[in-house]
Amino acid sequence: MTPPELLNPTMSRRVFIGATAYVVSVPLFASILKTDNELIKIIDKGQFFTPEELTILTDVAEIMIPKTDTPGATDAKVAPVLDGLMVTWANDQTKQQFKTTLMQINTLARDTYQQSYTGLGCADRQQMITELDKAAFTAQTTQLSINYRRLKELIFHVFYSSEEANPDFVLIPGHYYGDLTKSQFEKVKRGETL
Amino acid sequence: MTEEFDVIVVGSGITGGWAAKEFCEKGFKTLVIERGRHLDHPSSEYTDMQAPWQLDNRNMAPEAYDDEGRYAMLKAKKGKLKTDTIQFFADDKEHPYSYPEDKPFMWTRGYHLGGRSITWGRQSLRWGPKDFEANAKDGHGVPWPIGYKDLEPWYNYVESFVGISANKDGIDALPDGDFLKPFEMSCVEQHVAKNMERAFKDRRLIIGRAANLTEAKTQHTEVGRSPCQARAYCQRGCTFGAYFSSLSATLPAAKKTQNLSILTDSIAYSVDYDEHKGKASGVTVIDAKTKQKRQYKARVIFLCASALGSVQILLNSKSQTFPNGIANSSGAVGHYIMDHITGTIGFGDVPGFEHKYSYGRRPIATYIPNYRHEPSEQVDFVRGYGYQATAQSRKMTGTTAKSVGIGAAVKAKANKIGQWQFKALMYGEMLPYYDNYASLHPTKKDQWGIPLLHIDAEVKENERKMIVQAAKDLKEILAVAGCENTTIREVPADRHIVVGNRTHEMGGAVMGSDPKTSVLNKWAQSHDVANLFVTDGACMSSCATQNPSLTYMAITARAADYAAKLLNQGTL
Repeated sequence: MTPPELLNPTMSRRVFIGATAYVVSVPLFASILKTDNELIKIIDKGQFFTPEELTILTDVAEIMIPKTDTPGATDAKVAPVLDGLMVTWANDQTKQQFKTTLMQINTLARDTYQQSYTGLGCADRQQMITELDKAAFTAQTTQLSINYRRLKELIFHVFYSSEEANPDFVLIPGHYYGDLTKSQFEKVKRGETL
Repeated sequence: MTEEFDVIVVGSGITGGWAAKEFCEKGFKTLVIERGRHLDHPSSEYTDMQAPWQLDNRNMAPEAYDDEGRYAMLKAKKGKLKTDTIQFFADDKEHPYSYPEDKPFMWTRGYHLGGRSITWGRQSLRWGPKDFEANAKDGHGVPWPIGYKDLEPWYNYVESFVGISANKDGIDALPDGDFLKPFEMSCVEQHVAKNMERAFKDRRLIIGRAANLTEAKTQHTEVGRSPCQARAYCQRGCTFGAYFSSLSATLPAAKKTQNLSILTDSIAYSVDYDEHKGKASGVTVIDAKTKQKRQYKARVIFLCASALGSVQILLNSKSQTFPNGIANSSGAVGHYIMDHITGTIGFGDVPGFEHKYSYGRRPIATYIPNYRHEPSEQVDFVRGYGYQATAQSRKMTGTTAKSVGIGAAVKAKANKIGQWQFKALMYGEMLPYYDNYASLHPTKKDQWGIPLLHIDAEVKENERKMIVQAAKDLKEILAVAGCENTTIREVPADRHIVVGNRTHEMGGAVMGSDPKTSVLNKWAQSHDVANLFVTDGACMSSCATQNPSLTYMAITARAADYAAKLLNQGTL
C-alpha cells in the first residue's frame, strides 16, 4: 500500500527542466524505443523481473543516473546486473521488496497522473521520480520511502562499481606517488614515467 | 604419511609458517597441522586480479548469510560482508565460540592454509625496551622474562626475510631495523609530520612499516616474491607475493628443504601427554571432514594456532598430571586476554594542497608511535597509545546513493576528486587483567565434539581514561596539522567496547619467570612440559601499542632456534 504522504495529488506537474537533455542508451535486454514517450520498452523477461518491471527499472535507473557526456545507468547495464543480483545475492525479502517498489512506482504514476508509469511522457516520469526522491528522504519512515531508498542505493552501487563509471580505474598502478602536480598526475595516468 | 616427526607445528599462520621454516631449514622433519583447507600460492581463491565490476555480486555477500545467521561477528566488525575476502574468514556459525551476553567478544579467524597471514594488516613494528619493562614497572600482569635486547637479533633476522619497507626514524619507542626503502608519504602527510615535529617534543608522524616489498632482495625472489604494485588489495591475497604471508614466503621456504609435511583439514584436538616420560608425545587431530581422530607423534610441539586457538587446545589437553589442561599447573592458561583498543578517531580537511594529487594505492598507513610510556601529572592512567593515521590520497566527493538527489546535475558532481583529509585512529594498550580470561564452555561443543571456547574480557577504567585523553590529544594534533572541519569521535564511557575488534588478541599462555604465575618461560617454552612451546599471541605478557605480528615472528624464530639446539643436544 502506498502511504498517503507519497500520494500527494497536488504534486507539481511543472515540466522537469532536464527533460530535454534526455539521451537514450540501449539496454542489454531486447527492447524497443517507444518514440511517443521516449521510453525503452523491454521485451525479454529477465532472470527475475518481468519485462514490465525491467522497463520501469531501466527507466528509473536512467533517470537517476542519466547518460550525459559520460555513460549512464543503461550504458552500465544496471538493470540486467540488478536482475542477476536478485538471483545470486538477494534474499526473499529483498526480492519481494524490489518487486513491490516497482509496483509502487507504477501505482504512484496512476494515482498522480491517472496513467501507468510506462504510459507517461518522459518529462512526467522524470518529474515523478525526482519528486519521489525528495519525498523519500523527507518522510523516511513510510514503506515507499524505505523501499525506494533501498532500490536507489543498489542502483547507485551497481552503477558506480561498473566499468563504465570507472574509466580511470587501474588494477595494477605499479607505484604510489603522494605528491604530484596536475600535469605529473595526468602523465602517470597515461602510463608515462615521471 | 608417516605419523612420527621431529616437530609438530599446530597452525600455519604467521607464526606456524615461521616455526616450519626454521625447523625444516635446520634439518628437522616437520609436520604442520592446519585445521582449514589447503590453499596454493598464488591461489585460485585470490581476488586481487579482479576489477570492482568483476567481483562476485559486485562485492556484496549473499543476503542468505544474514538469514542464516552466518558471519554475524564479521559483519559487525566490517560493517558489511564482501565477496572479495569473505573466503578467508571463518564463519562463526560453523565455528562457534562463546562469550557473556553483555560482553560480546570478536574472534576473527581464518581457517585455511596460511591462516590470518593472508589477511593481516602488515604493519610491522618492533616493540621498544619500555614495552617489555611495563609489567614489572607498574605491577600489572606478569613481568616479561625477556627484554628488547633479547629479541633485537631476532627482529633483525625475521625482518630481513619478511622484507619491511620503512624509514629509519630514530625513535626509541620504535626501534629501527634494516629496512627496505619506505613507501612515500603524501604531500599532506609530510606537511602534518613537519608541523607535528615543530609543535611537539614527543609526537611524531612517520610512514608505516609495511611487510610489503618496495624492492625484492635475493631472499625474497628465491621464494618467488616480487615487488608491491601499490594496489592495496592485500587482503584478497597477492598474486605477486609482494606482501609477506606464510603462503608466499615461509611455507615455500620450508617446502624447499623437503623436510615439510602439511596436513590440512585436521583440527588439533589435544596435545598428548606421556605420563611416564613427562613430555608431550604428539597431537591428536580430528579430521574436519570425516570427524575421525588420528594421532601424530613428535619430539617437540609448537603451538602456533593463534592466541585463543592455542589456549583452547591447551585447556582441552587433559591428562592425569594436567586435569585442567596441559602446561597449566599455574592455573594461568586462559588468563590475561588482551587486545588493542581504539576508542577515539578524528579527522579533518587539510587545505592548501588543492593543486596536489596522488596516484596508486599505498598498502600501509602512517603512524604516530606511543608517546605516553612515562607517567605524567596531566594523566591518571598507565601505559599509553599511538595512532594509525593517513592522508594518502584526496577523498572522493561520493554519491547521493543515501541522500536526496538524482539526475545529470547530481551525477556531474559525484565521485570527483575532493579535499585532502587527514585522519587518525587511536591504538591503545590494554592492561593484562587476570580476570579477562578464556575457558572451555562447560556444556557447549562444536560439531567435532570440542568444547567451545568461552571468552570473557572487557576494557576497564585505565583504558577508558586513555580514550578520553587520546581524544584531547588528537584534537591538538589535528589543530597542529592545520585541519579544518574537524571531527573527533570518542566511544562513550558507558558503551561496551568489543574486545577482539582489532584482531590483536594476545595472552592466555603468558611468558614469565615464575612457573606459579605464568605458563611459559623466556623461550616461550612451557614451564611444565619441556618439549611444548607456544609462540603465537598467547605467549604475550602485555600487548603494548604496536601491531604485534612482527614480535610474534621474532619470538617464534628465537624459540625454534632454542628448541633446535635442545633437539640436537638430545635434551628434548
